Amino acid sequence: MQHVDLIAEYLLQLQRELVGVDAAVTHDALVDAEAHLRAAVAAGKTPAAAVDEFGTAADFARAYAGAPALVDPLAVEGAGATRSGSLAADRASSRTGTLAMLAHIPVLGVWFQARAWSSLFYFLLPCFVIALATFVWVVCVGSLALGTLPIIVGVPLAVFLLGSVRAICLAEGKVVEFFLGVRMPRRVQPVQVLTPLGAVAQIGFWQRIRCWLTDVRSWLSLGYLLGNFFVATGLFTVFVTLVAMAFALLAVPVGTALGVPVVQMHGDDAEVWLLWQRIKPDANGTVHLSAAQCLLSGVLGLALATGTLWLARGTGWVYGQVVKAIQVAKPQAVAQRFAIVQ
Amino acid sequence: MASQLEDRILKDLSNGTAWLVVLATVAGSQDAIHGYEIGRRLADEAPEGLSFKQGTLYPMLRTMEAEGLVGSTLVPSNEGPARKCFTITTEGRRVLATWVSAWKRTGRWMNRVIGDIDATR
Repeated sequence: MQHVDLIAEYLLQLQRELVGVDAAVTHDALVDAEAHLRAAVAAGKTPAAAVDEFGTAADFARAYAGAPALVDPLAVEGAGATRSGSLAADRASSRTGTLAMLAHIPVLGVWFQARAWSSLFYFLLPCFVIALATFVWVVCVGSLALGTLPIIVGVPLAVFLLGSVRAICLAEGKVVEFFLGVRMPRRVQPVQVLTPLGAVAQIGFWQRIRCWLTDVRSWLSLGYLLGNFFVATGLFTVFVTLVAMAFALLAVPVGTALGVPVVQMHGDDAEVWLLWQRIKPDANGTVHLSAAQCLLSGVLGLALATGTLWLARGTGWVYGQVVKAIQVAKPQAVAQRFAIVQ
Repeated sequence: MASQLEDRILKDLSNGTAWLVVLATVAGSQDAIHGYEIGRRLADEAPEGLSFKQGTLYPMLRTMEAEGLVGSTLVPSNEGPARKCFTITTEGRRVLATWVSAWKRTGRWMNRVIGDIDATR
């Protein structure tokens, strides 16, 4: 006779109720529901009683999807970001009201969008630093594990590495969520286990390790930590270059107005090309720019800085979605773990 | 119609108080406490006739965490997914004190207003 696990059935129903909701929220809702129901069964309740006390899947999904997914401490991007009823949002709304209005100015509004600045800062510092540190960790421990595989010691090291990358990715998700505003999972990937009907699921040490080894997310996380170093380095280089160029261009009119020699060049053949015009320095090596050239430099700097902020914002969104795709478990996989048991 | 209104008022009453009792339960726990344990304690203490669906705890806890009222840690479990256990934060204690104070004032006012009314008469 074939029985359906009530908890699995509930999770499948919950998953259907959460269709269209953010994948990370769905993941967290399924994990929360399952952790609760399994704890209730472990405490001696029948699955039917546990499900009944928990409430219907529709009510739970409605309540879960309706709760704020993310308190955005940097939110200044209009009413959508400052939800009513949120304590943090209410506190922030009064001081960010003007900024929220300015943020809606076409094109230049990006200067007043905190998300653009936090994304730019993320790519200039935390992204690169974290990617470097995790790359070193993976390469060092991975090499050690591979090198010691012939003497068996490498096996526990490799398992330890896989466990650590899962934890690192979860922690990194919080950093990405804070700076880039993309909702990340806040629950670890559950361990897959088949449980006979009525029995309490018992996840042992070996089962947990087997899960780490067979779970594609472990390997994706490992690949992500390796590959992210190159991506982070590339993004760091691009944004440092763009920011430096924008600063230099913006500094020209400011420096000239203040009487500070902005460009100094020495040597007999020293010359500057600006918009197809050759400019020679004076005897002291100072390059003198006309008012029109200074204005043009300022406009170019402003345009480049604005473009850089837009690029940081857009790249941040794409980067966040990629990290999320790697880290968020497919809800299907979560809910079908206990599908049907004999 | 009347029963719909009755249900709605009972639901609103339950929703309003649920936040307070959930935060108070987290505050009253010595160690980090899991959602199931919070639900169990609340169910044990619930007055007769008041049903409390434990699933409603999690969205509340999630919002409280997002607002900085509670912090959480993931505790591995042998019975299923890792459990998220909650502790109250300093901000949470401050908010709880405000809520408790408001609840006591409201309670005194309610008792004064409805205390002597015999609704069955």
